[in-house]
Amino acid sequence: MALRAALLRHVRIPAQTLNPALTLTGGKWGPPSLRWMSSHDDHLTKSEVTERVLSVVKSFPKVDPSTVTSDVHFQKDLGLDSLDNVEIVMALEEEFKLEIPDKEADKIDSTNLAIEYIYNHPMAG
Amino acid sequence: MGASRGPRLSGMQKQVLSLYRGFLRAARAKSAEDRQQIESLVSSEFRRNAKEVDRKNFLYIEYLLRRAKKQLDQLRSPDVVGLSALNVSFSQTKHPTN
Repeated sequence: MALRAALLRHVRIPAQTLNPALTLTGGKWGPPSLRWMSSHDDHLTKSEVTERVLSVVKSFPKVDPSTVTSDVHFQKDLGLDSLDNVEIVMALEEEFKLEIPDKEADKIDSTNLAIEYIYNHPMAG
Repeated sequence: MGASRGPRLSGMQKQVLSLYRGFLRAARAKSAEDRQQIESLVSSEFRRNAKEVDRKNFLYIEYLLRRAKKQLDQLRSPDVVGLSALNVSFSQTKHPTN
């Protein structure tokens, strides 16, 4: 381990001196600035998405919060209608600052699909 | 995940849901108070028609869809702050000063 650390420390110094252009363009931000637009750096974790999706569904007026799990169908299990389904998806849009196109929104009919969709959405925040 | 477990939606049902979504989206652009009022009006109107209108009465449903589309276009205009009532003639755009 000590040898590895020593080697790494040794290698790093020439890398900086050999590549002045990189450090100049990178500025004081360094290498991370190369991918500052990447959507995966601060991507939501699955458990965070799950927790927030469930809390949105539980707070829906017609839903008994104790029946909500990460695998319930809005209409079959929670007794909601298709208009409620639209309202829930809209509430999720607001929660995660997304706009879900009609084609996708029509498919989201369960907590499970909502979690999957939002977790895989690069813009979910 | 698998396929959807819900009932398959007809084209007409999809149009209705898409309109409903459109109304709720348009309402987001209004003030909190107007938004709340629009949402409750739109929600009760859609639910009333869902219950009362015969699902085989395509001609009437198409008429309601056309009417709702026009109302939605008007609601999207920034000058329009609300819907007086959806069953009132859609030529009435401006919110009544009550």
